[in-house]
Amino acid sequence: MAQDLMDRELDVLDKERVAPVETLRRSDEALRLPAVAPPTALPLEPPLVPQVGEQTRAVGLRAQRPDSRNHGLGLTRYIDDIALPGMLFAKIKRAGIASARIKRIDTSRAEAMPGVCAVLVGSEIPVNSFGPSLQDQPLLAHPIVRHAGDGVAAVAAVTEQIAQAAIDAITVEYEPLPGVYDALEALKPESYKVHGGDTNVYASKVIKRGDVEAGFAQAYRIYEGRYYTPGIEHAPMEPFTSIADWDANGRLTIHASIGRITLARCDLARTLAIPISRIRVIGTVVGGNFGGKNEIRHEPVLALLAKKAGRPVKGRFNRVEEFVASTIRHAFHMDYKTGVTKDGRLIARQVRMVLDGGAYCSFSETTLGKACILSTGPYEIPNSLAEGYVVYTNKTTAGSMRGFGAPQVCFAYESQMDEIARDLGIDPVEIRLRNMFREGSMSSTGQVLHSVKVKESLENAVKKFGWEVQS
Amino acid sequence: MIVTLTVNGELRSASVPPETTLLVMLREHLHLTGAKTGCDVGDCGACTVIVDGLAVNACLMLAAQADGRTVTTIEGLATREGLHPLQKVFEETGALQCGFCGPGVIMTSKALLDHTPEPTPQEIRTALTGNLCRCTGYVKMIEGVQEAAAMMRSPQSPALAGQSPALAAPEQK
Ligand code: FES
Ligand code: FES
Repeated sequence: MAQDLMDRELDVLDKERVAPVETLRRSDEALRLPAVAPPTALPLEPPLVPQVGEQTRAVGLRAQRPDSRNHGLGLTRYIDDIALPGMLFAKIKRAGIASARIKRIDTSRAEAMPGVCAVLVGSEIPVNSFGPSLQDQPLLAHPIVRHAGDGVAAVAAVTEQIAQAAIDAITVEYEPLPGVYDALEALKPESYKVHGGDTNVYASKVIKRGDVEAGFAQAYRIYEGRYYTPGIEHAPMEPFTSIADWDANGRLTIHASIGRITLARCDLARTLAIPISRIRVIGTVVGGNFGGKNEIRHEPVLALLAKKAGRPVKGRFNRVEEFVASTIRHAFHMDYKTGVTKDGRLIARQVRMVLDGGAYCSFSETTLGKACILSTGPYEIPNSLAEGYVVYTNKTTAGSMRGFGAPQVCFAYESQMDEIARDLGIDPVEIRLRNMFREGSMSSTGQVLHSVKVKESLENAVKKFGWEVQS
Repeated sequence: MIVTLTVNGELRSASVPPETTLLVMLREHLHLTGAKTGCDVGDCGACTVIVDGLAVNACLMLAAQADGRTVTTIEGLATREGLHPLQKVFEETGALQCGFCGPGVIMTSKALLDHTPEPTPQEIRTALTGNLCRCTGYVKMIEGVQEAAAMMRSPQSPALAGQSPALAAPEQK
């Protein structure tokens, strides 16, 4: 009896909890702005939490984004849609020369222009360096220019046009220096050293399993190949844009389309020499990131301009700057040497890769690490040795991009897999199935793998693409 | 100079420097930030608005050239009663991800549907050649435009009629 009553009460409670949401949702359909997140097309039962050994049911279903109505209405507020009262517009003068020493910068004509509120050059910046891992990047180059996209001077003015005119009125005298424009060249002892010192290598990694030499000695055949993937720009539709704003208590607020708030605050605190507690970074809706918006870029320059001018400052990259002054995907030079048995089993693989890091470090170490870990592919190989180096060149800085080095090495090991298959006369799918990771396989780093679904994935793909093994 | 436009049905004027583009006038002087600055040189279509019935890149048109003309921006599509079919379909199909290209894509598609109520997929593709999207791969957009076209051709368009009972019923998809 009592139990009955309780059940009924629970029932009522349940209904009360559910009903208003449904009513609201229905009225939302008629309203322009949703207040209740749209019912998702994904079934809630059974749960979407991945279960070991189970495929989730999300694939192939239509999914709605909670923010999609605002996107369609043009109401999503991206960083460039924000304007603060009294805000100035900043432009940065790019070197346009890849390797040089700045002899003289004349900003007098720019400073005299009506509407120009602040001009900044590298020599006035107390801590002229930043970077997410190595702090090797100047805010504005001084005196050495290391790639064509280096900033050399910055202006804040009342309109974008005036800022651009002022930038054009700044004259810079350069003494050209030798440079290095190829990663393999940069490795040579006689090459130009982008950051001085005696080497251009700034990060390296070695991962070893078993004994490759012994593996090669046992091999039926050995294949060697060199593979190259070029640098790639992320090309988000939304250009880098940020606003810097100081308050009367000396606290800085940065509005930016950025993916790593705390990292940005740490880097800014170091560069601006103020405690991190006085820096607030507000990440706005991102109009496309793809890994390129993971670190600060022009924000410290905007902050210094804003401080000089005493007004908030917005900066927005133009499309050319997006290509020359942002980061790109690392270009990879990869040498693969693989020993196989007669029946197509990989028994030894040696990988040597050289990454073109461009002028500054950015996320090179992370990229190198991941590339080395994944360089042997999803294959069980008892003996492997991967060595990787990142080198400085006088080119656009390479940084993080989707996959952090994984797509590059994938191109190399899968290309070589096809070459081996062709040479041994084994079907390309079959040779992969023979070597693939399985439950309990050990990776090149010594990790024992669980929930391994690579075989099923490949078989599924084969079916979907209509590549049935021809025997 | 003073530029006067009919924007989304309202007469609006602003005093702008002569080099001001229509895009800057809309975004900075009239505070209609729906059209986006993607490249500012006519490559990406994020700034697309409709001027006298034609989709144009607002970054390539001077505000002065639009003087006296009729401009529709993304902000002018939805009514009090509801969303434009394109907006509704794009929402439901997840045709937009980051959304930055969305206003431009929707305005180009609207201009297409205004002239061609029953476009083929190829016609939609051709119309959207000037609109770059880095996130989606375009497939859902093209399907979405077709769905919206069908919706607009049917006499009882659920998206437009706020009172329609069809509105509350979940879509069979
Ligand atoms: S901003 Fe106008 S086409 Fe890119
Ligand atoms: S949705 Fe991101 S650019 Fe189209």
